[in-house]
Amino acid sequence: MIDLVWLVPALPLAGAVVTLFAGKRLGKTAGWLASALVACAFVVATGVLLDLVALPAEDRTRVVHLFDWIRVRIFAANVDLLVDPLSVTMILVVTGVGTLIHVYAIGYMEGDPRFGRFFAYLNLFVSFMLLLVLADNYLLLYVGWEGVGLCSYLLIGFWFERPAAASAAKKAFVTTRIGDTAMLVGIALIFVRFGTLDFGSVLHGAGPVLAPVIPEGTATAISLLLLAGAIGKSAQVPLHVWLPDAMEGPTPVSALIHAATMVTAGVYLVVRSHVLFEASEVALVVVLIVGLVTALYAGISAIGQDDIKRVLAYSTISQVGFMFFAAGMKAYAAAIFLLVTHAFYKALMFLSAGAVMHGLADEADLKRMGGLRRAMPVTATAFSIGALALAGVPPFAGFFSKDQIVAEASRSQGVGVWALALVAAFLSALYIARLVFLAFAGERRSATEPHESPPVMIVPLGLLAVGAALSGAALGLTVDGGLARFLEPVVGAVLGAPGGLSEAALAIVSVVLALSAVAFAWIVWGSGKVDWLALRAGPWNSLQRFMNRGMYVDDAYAAVVEKPGKAAGRGLRTFDERVLDGAVNGLGALVRSLAAAGRRIQTGVVRSYAAAFLLGAVAILVYVGVRL
Amino acid sequence: MSTPIASFVVLSGILFAIGTAGVLVRRNALVIFMSVELQLNAVNLALVAFSRMHNELDGQILAFFSMVVAAAEVVVGLAIIVSVYRRRRTADVDAVSELRW
Repeated sequence: MIDLVWLVPALPLAGAVVTLFAGKRLGKTAGWLASALVACAFVVATGVLLDLVALPAEDRTRVVHLFDWIRVRIFAANVDLLVDPLSVTMILVVTGVGTLIHVYAIGYMEGDPRFGRFFAYLNLFVSFMLLLVLADNYLLLYVGWEGVGLCSYLLIGFWFERPAAASAAKKAFVTTRIGDTAMLVGIALIFVRFGTLDFGSVLHGAGPVLAPVIPEGTATAISLLLLAGAIGKSAQVPLHVWLPDAMEGPTPVSALIHAATMVTAGVYLVVRSHVLFEASEVALVVVLIVGLVTALYAGISAIGQDDIKRVLAYSTISQVGFMFFAAGMKAYAAAIFLLVTHAFYKALMFLSAGAVMHGLADEADLKRMGGLRRAMPVTATAFSIGALALAGVPPFAGFFSKDQIVAEASRSQGVGVWALALVAAFLSALYIARLVFLAFAGERRSATEPHESPPVMIVPLGLLAVGAALSGAALGLTVDGGLARFLEPVVGAVLGAPGGLSEAALAIVSVVLALSAVAFAWIVWGSGKVDWLALRAGPWNSLQRFMNRGMYVDDAYAAVVEKPGKAAGRGLRTFDERVLDGAVNGLGALVRSLAAAGRRIQTGVVRSYAAAFLLGAVAILVYVGVRL
Repeated sequence: MSTPIASFVVLSGILFAIGTAGVLVRRNALVIFMSVELQLNAVNLALVAFSRMHNELDGQILAFFSMVVAAAEVVVGLAIIVSVYRRRRTADVDAVSELRW
């Protein structure tokens, strides 16, 4: 089965080709075909997992050679797929969650004039994402990396008739490109240093044992350049600005690309390359700081959002920040654990949010929701499960994964970092509780009559809800639990570093914090006793705006980058119009005016021509005579 | 007993001058045309005279060529004049000055 792993990215790719060219003719079948192919990929991935588990733990890294790709004098890159616990975990998440989102999208995108094309893009995305996580060298990974970026662009701008969607797509593409360029430089640097891009040679030759192979400065440079790519793709501060805007895309896209899979590619990259990061003193510290700052920043910003999807977007940024934070503490297994559980509960919440908008005639403003628990009980329940999972309330998934990270912070980073991590966790619980209370509790504020979604959308919600509820307990009930031990061959054993508070005490602190955040949110937004609309129009207005605008980061970029850029553009345009065009046009005008003077000679009077002949002939004769 | 070369050259010069003056001052296209012919023949005379002086035939051959070309030119030129006359009822060159800027 392991040798058949190439089928995993190949099946969605085939689906993309078929639905792209025959999408119109297939009609609704296109959606089912696309879903079925991803489901088949999931089945193959499960088979690969079973085969891998059957092997002894230290033998669970297999490279499947497909074909030689590039082979020049000193450079070789093959299309090789790497099958190891980390990549298998990733492909299971991508295909599993991907299948459910595909099925959901059949209902969500029904009646869209470009139904077939949507599934072509979606399948193409899944294929590239699988290539990204299965690649056995940095170049092939980069192919997948850019491929998902392209699909992200296409899908954010899927409704390109809307200017907001078109510009959001452009923004996402350009912003991530900043990181991608740095990453490409990093990959080039890896090649210069190691002479190869294969994971096997690079990552197993770069460890502390072989430290002299690469000087620390080089390791730092490579790590930070790769990190820049990860920051762009995973929407971490300071390249996070594209993700909230990316919510202009259809909701299944937000769920699949901008919550469950693509934005976690950066985490995957860091975890995959952790040997390089560890060879450097500062790289992991930077990862940790970026993650923590992002988690706090996005947590605060999420509280100020009114658009249901933008809350979830900031929430995603914050959760991915948690993953980076974990990776920065070398708690790679915990990072991947959160990645997996987050894929479940965030996809669940996005799809529920999509169901809410579906039932409310595309209304996304929380101010005009409220009381939806009565009209759409299933959606409300599903969303609440996702929210509880995110908030870190046991026994839902987020509790286990986030608790591991907070516990790791307490163990290895000291009280300050631990406290900040707790604040970030508190913020997560707060903004998501606010969202739940505003949308589903209280009285109805919507103008339209809400209705529940069709079964094709509800069933995936149910399955994801099961995942969001149980995956945490199933994968990580103990610190050294299932997933962590499974990942050991790739990321190393979990360090049971002593210190900090005991497990139980930490868990109690986390749960108490989460519940108090929920209680606080209930008092302000749920109970109806606080007139939050009046408060934020009045004394809290500037704070509300501060959070709503994402701490004015976008505005700062507009002032620092966009404005000078536009001014420079205008200046160059003036230069082009006045100076360059002026020179060319001036030359033309000069010739014209000379010609206007010159053509006066041509009078049309034959006798004057004859006189000119004569004068000319005489002049030549005189000249010749003088010369002689 | 032969006529000195100078007489031919002077006669040729006089004829050429008359032709030139005719081209410049007359307005009737036909007369201008005849003046041009006069100029050509003045040159032909000079050619033949010099040819004889040098005891070579080159000049005379050249004069023949000149006559042939002149004949062809007369055909084209007269055709133009006739056609202009038919259209305009005039052969005055000053009246036909549309070919200009």
